[in-house]
Amino acid sequence: MFTNMIIGRYMPGNSWIHRLDARTKLILSVAFIFVVFFANNVAGYVVAIAFTLLSILLTGLGVGVFIRGVRPLMFLMFITTLLQLFFVQTGDVLWHWAFLTITTDGVTNSIAVFVRFMLIIMFSTILTLTTQPLAVADAMESLLQPLKKVGFPVAELALMLSIALRFVPTLMDEAESIMNAQRARGVEFNEGNIISRIKAFVPLLIPLFINAIKRAIELGDAMEARGYRGGDNRTKYRVLTWQKQDTIAVIGFIVFTVLLIATKWL
Amino acid sequence: MAINFNQVGFTYQLNTPFATQGLHDVNFTMPEGKFTAVIGHTGSGKSTMVQHLDGLVIPTAGEITIAEQRIVPTTKPKELNKMRAHVGLVFQFPEAQLFEQTVLKDVMFGPKNFGKTATEAEAAAKRALRTVGMAEKYDERSPFELSGGQMRRVAIAGVLAMEPDLLILDEPTAGLDPAGQEELMTLFARLQKERHLTVVLITHQMEYVAQYADHVVVFEGGTVVKEGTPAKIFDDVAWLQEKQLDVPIAKQFADKLATKGVTLDTVLDIDALADQLAEQLGGSAHVH
Repeated sequence: MFTNMIIGRYMPGNSWIHRLDARTKLILSVAFIFVVFFANNVAGYVVAIAFTLLSILLTGLGVGVFIRGVRPLMFLMFITTLLQLFFVQTGDVLWHWAFLTITTDGVTNSIAVFVRFMLIIMFSTILTLTTQPLAVADAMESLLQPLKKVGFPVAELALMLSIALRFVPTLMDEAESIMNAQRARGVEFNEGNIISRIKAFVPLLIPLFINAIKRAIELGDAMEARGYRGGDNRTKYRVLTWQKQDTIAVIGFIVFTVLLIATKWL
Repeated sequence: MAINFNQVGFTYQLNTPFATQGLHDVNFTMPEGKFTAVIGHTGSGKSTMVQHLDGLVIPTAGEITIAEQRIVPTTKPKELNKMRAHVGLVFQFPEAQLFEQTVLKDVMFGPKNFGKTATEAEAAAKRALRTVGMAEKYDERSPFELSGGQMRRVAIAGVLAMEPDLLILDEPTAGLDPAGQEELMTLFARLQKERHLTVVLITHQMEYVAQYADHVVVFEGGTVVKEGTPAKIFDDVAWLQEKQLDVPIAKQFADKLATKGVTLDTVLDIDALADQLAEQLGGSAHVH
């Protein structure tokens, strides 16, 4: 049942985007979330969509994968769009029934919100699809280094993050095997009404939590037994290196940002 | 419940870039009311095959027949709920499925899901707990306070309480001490005889195969490479070594004796070997 999830999954490849430094991808993905708000007219959105499409094509994974990735979030996007549609009250009234009103501003806003949402999800998906989770954790640790000076536990945070990421597939496998065991005992997941569906998850979640805690204790013991101590002077097997292509990517992104801001005066 | 696999194949994540083949061209028959052992390497497809026996996954090719139930790639998972009530499946490390507040409640969970009333389920649960040797004093304890071996027994009781006709055991003794392993295997063999169950045992321990199995299916690389009686499977020592499968100790011993000129009938378990040797030496049969 988890096999169709694209979000958060790494797809191996050797495209230009795959080879970018994880830090570049992380910074640009976060920056994109803010930059996309500069778009406030049709031209702006065209530029933003074109840039996202170009980035997607550069991953070499095909647009289909990204569209499938957005699908599980459709419901959330739909609700947000509906809220915009009905709660924006400015502009000319197009339709009115009881307490529900649709205005011209509501329509344009909801379209804008929908497109923005879509673009942000797709752009973040580029990061997760083309970067190994551990590389993302390394990137975060590297970017947070300056905070060490004010006593922020950067190494511990990075360790927590990489352990969490490392155990996602393990827990998924375990969830699947517990689910199978409970199905063999007559539990029917994904059948019946919403309450019986929620109830069906209790026999899955309790063993899953108990095993996760046990595993965490064992992992802690194993690390201590091998003399693990926090981050001081640790070297890394995979060293992040900034290369020419990273500079090109950042310049490309700056150009995109400038273009996007420029559309204001169109 | 007789089981038949006809050209069965299973591909994980079919039609995605992640598609990997689990099983291909699997053909075998497991006789009703008999003890069948499934052997083969880790990753040879044994566990994937087991999930098909309980309808937990649907084959992507071929046809499976389990008693009256026919399973083909177009079968809907819902159609298999009824069949599942007659199949008991003990997974590897089954203690991972425990979740209830008390031992008794956990064992009652299966029968209740398959439509038994609370009283019926409780009676079945108590019978199953006594069968696996859990005393009444544990009934109201939390399953998480028990020792590993006891948790295993409770989990197995949780499957036995469903009173299945087909009992599938996926390495049920893995990780237990030798005495615990022996007790469980004796229990399964006894249940199989008493209740005329069809038992499917997946194992790496050839001693158990030699001792208990009526029929053996050998998996390799996602398909069945040999099928037959234990005597037939263990006859070809060279073939077994090529497949990196062990030969039962009694058979190894008898083969060594044969090179020294002592000829015996085919023996697979130690008791039979001892009987034959005693006879040749002129003593009486030993007491089992």
